[in-house]
Amino acid sequence: MKMTTNAKTHGIDISSLQREARTLDLDTETTTLKVRDLRLTYGDKEALHGINMDIPKKRVTAFIGPSGCGKSTLLRCFNRMNDLVDGCNITGQILLDDNNIFDRTVDVADLRRRVGMVFQKPNPFPKSIYENVAYGLRIQGIKKKRDIDETVEWALRSAALWDEVKDRLHESALGMSGGQQQRLVIARTIAVKPEVLLLDEPASALDPISTLKIEELIHELKNDFTIVIVTHNMQQAARVSDYTAFMYMGDLIEFGVTDTLFTNPEKKQTEDYITGRYG
Amino acid sequence: MRVSFTEWTKSGSPWVWLNAGAVAICVIMVVGLLSLIAVRGLGHFWPADIQQATYSLNGEKSRVIGEIVESEQVPAEQLRDAGVIVPEGTLMMRRDLMKIGNRDVTGTDFTWVLDDNLSDRSNPEMLFTAERREWGNFYGYLRALKEGDKLVGQYDGYEKTPEYVALWESVKASIERALIIRKDIYQIEKHEIGSINYELERLRLKQRALELKEISDPAPYAEIEARRKELNTSYEGLQQSLIDLYTEINRDTIIAEVSDGQQIDIAVAKIVRAFRPNDMSVGAKLIHYAEKIKEFVSDDPREANTEGGIFPAIFGTVMMVVLMSILVTPFGVIAAVYLREYAKQGFTTRLIRIAVNNLAGVPSIVYGVFGLGFFVYFLGGNIDRLFYPEALPSPTFGTGGLMWASITLALLTVPVVIVATEEGLSRIPRAVREGSLALGATKAETLWKVVLPMASPAMMTGVILAIARAAGEVAPLMLVGVVKLAPSLPLDANYPFLHLDQKFMHLGFHIYDVGFQSPNVEAARPLVYATALLLVAVIALLNISAVQIRNHLREKYKSLEM
Repeated sequence: MKMTTNAKTHGIDISSLQREARTLDLDTETTTLKVRDLRLTYGDKEALHGINMDIPKKRVTAFIGPSGCGKSTLLRCFNRMNDLVDGCNITGQILLDDNNIFDRTVDVADLRRRVGMVFQKPNPFPKSIYENVAYGLRIQGIKKKRDIDETVEWALRSAALWDEVKDRLHESALGMSGGQQQRLVIARTIAVKPEVLLLDEPASALDPISTLKIEELIHELKNDFTIVIVTHNMQQAARVSDYTAFMYMGDLIEFGVTDTLFTNPEKKQTEDYITGRYG
Repeated sequence: MRVSFTEWTKSGSPWVWLNAGAVAICVIMVVGLLSLIAVRGLGHFWPADIQQATYSLNGEKSRVIGEIVESEQVPAEQLRDAGVIVPEGTLMMRRDLMKIGNRDVTGTDFTWVLDDNLSDRSNPEMLFTAERREWGNFYGYLRALKEGDKLVGQYDGYEKTPEYVALWESVKASIERALIIRKDIYQIEKHEIGSINYELERLRLKQRALELKEISDPAPYAEIEARRKELNTSYEGLQQSLIDLYTEINRDTIIAEVSDGQQIDIAVAKIVRAFRPNDMSVGAKLIHYAEKIKEFVSDDPREANTEGGIFPAIFGTVMMVVLMSILVTPFGVIAAVYLREYAKQGFTTRLIRIAVNNLAGVPSIVYGVFGLGFFVYFLGGNIDRLFYPEALPSPTFGTGGLMWASITLALLTVPVVIVATEEGLSRIPRAVREGSLALGATKAETLWKVVLPMASPAMMTGVILAIARAAGEVAPLMLVGVVKLAPSLPLDANYPFLHLDQKFMHLGFHIYDVGFQSPNVEAARPLVYATALLLVAVIALLNISAVQIRNHLREKYKSLEM
């Protein structure tokens, strides 16, 4: 992957965030994840009421909606993070390359390697910067120092972090700023070369400049990864995503090309939300 | 400005005063306790002045020589009842406890004297103290030194003349010489003959094992016999050199005058050190003091533990605590990990947790009884039957020992480690665990690579608490392996080096034994304080090192600011 000049210089260049002019159409995209009638209950409360959608490959898909609408819950279904929650029950299917990820034969650890996730708050391990990025590689059993070195450098470069940290790779990751930590977490996630990158409000705990850096980064990363991002910030969704899904009260209300959804929504609820009438 | 009581109450000041007062009381108690044992314990090693005085009791006059240890007031009535003539009109009288030493002459080390009846008090600089291996201290005047039957020096006066100084110097040289020879004897008796005896015992057990297995092939027996002959030859050689050394060491004798004018012989070999406290400068006293402290922490005890050092007890305490920590840490951590990470949280786990917490409250003697019944008699007995049948009927593991004591204390302290580790595990942020899982790590990998390292400071906290509790514990140890005098350390140069089956000495038990089981209570009392001080110091040292390790870990795995 190539670095863009502006990412290298850390200058904030809004123009780089402008989507290239091309026509997007959901029907012509290759699909990575297919969601089929997905229902999720916590105890006896249903949080998702039968979601159906196709996540396009190597595109950025944003989930928007008011708090508690189920967008994060849906995102956490893609790498089965909800397995860790007691009393959580899922029916329906999510197909990754036409295999149901809820199938019994699926190795959850392998699924999570293929579907990486970045959380709301930066969560680096209390290890060195290098060891943070190498963590996933070591888990996979890669032992050769040269392979690890190469991948660590590649991942840090991809996350636009290499120049900032190359002289202190072996210092604790906890000494970095919040924005750097979040990019480190992204580097850590892409180091294991996942197919899908799930971002759960990745910039909500960051300052505006760090947020912009993350947005730039998302723009770069979609050349290699299918990206699904949950965000509260509609401007952010409009800036970074190709497609946007609007969710409300556990239902998928509208899913379409971002520009269309924001300028000409089909549903009344969507329009109300993006114009700020509720939410 | 006057402030009304209600307002003063409202302002919260009384509350602050109350809190500060409680803290102050705690500090005063701790400082008071430590200073009491420090002063009493450390004062013991200072070379006290020897007093000489004329003591008259009921008209009889006698000369007394000794150190005044303490004073107290007694009712005159009580003295009259005891048949002492007391002047009319006095209600209370001061009496002094005097350490007069010379137990071989007087039959007792200490005597009470009435302070008012002492006259002509002086501190003659010619008086000397001799610390002996038997019969306690000697106080008196040096008169002569003999080498065999030959008189080397002699002096009869009470003045510090050049003659006297020459005699004193030759006595010191003679003591020095005896100490050097004693070192050789110790080396031979303890280490060389000790090793031979140890190997002979092992050979005996080997032969017995062969007999028990009913092996008739004579080859192994012959081998054992050959080795035994070798050992016996070298034993005889050592024995001969021992005899020579003993003849050497017993060459010199000194003649000294005691308080009633009688002259007695003291073998130089029996003297540990001799000094004249009344003639010592402060610097000399300080050197003497440092030597005594060094002896206290690094030597073996003498004279039923009332003299000499307590090194074996320090060693035993530290050894037992270290073994206990090695046993308790993995056990407690593994249990806590299961309880917190794997077990389904429900009624059963709650029940187990309550049980674990209550286990921490069980009186320690109960653990001692359990240790004796289960570990020593049941486990130890069976180990002996299975693995050491050749040594029976004398038990190897079927009696109290270092291993059983450590295991019993590990059992006693395991709840603390479990609770602390669980606490630490529950504090690891969920986000970090999820971060690891999201990278494709399994639960076990997450646990090993992220969660446990981050929880390690909490584990160390548990270990620190465990050490604090175990190091001070005495009651259970008395049942499972502590003795008042252990002939050898549990760690030595004989294979397998660490003797887990051996009995050992312990500072806590030593305090009890010296203070309350000693035939010479007065002599032992300062040692109780000194030993208590040392016990506190050892525990503090163990704790501080554990705290250091914890702080290092904390720095390394600083928790996330979340």
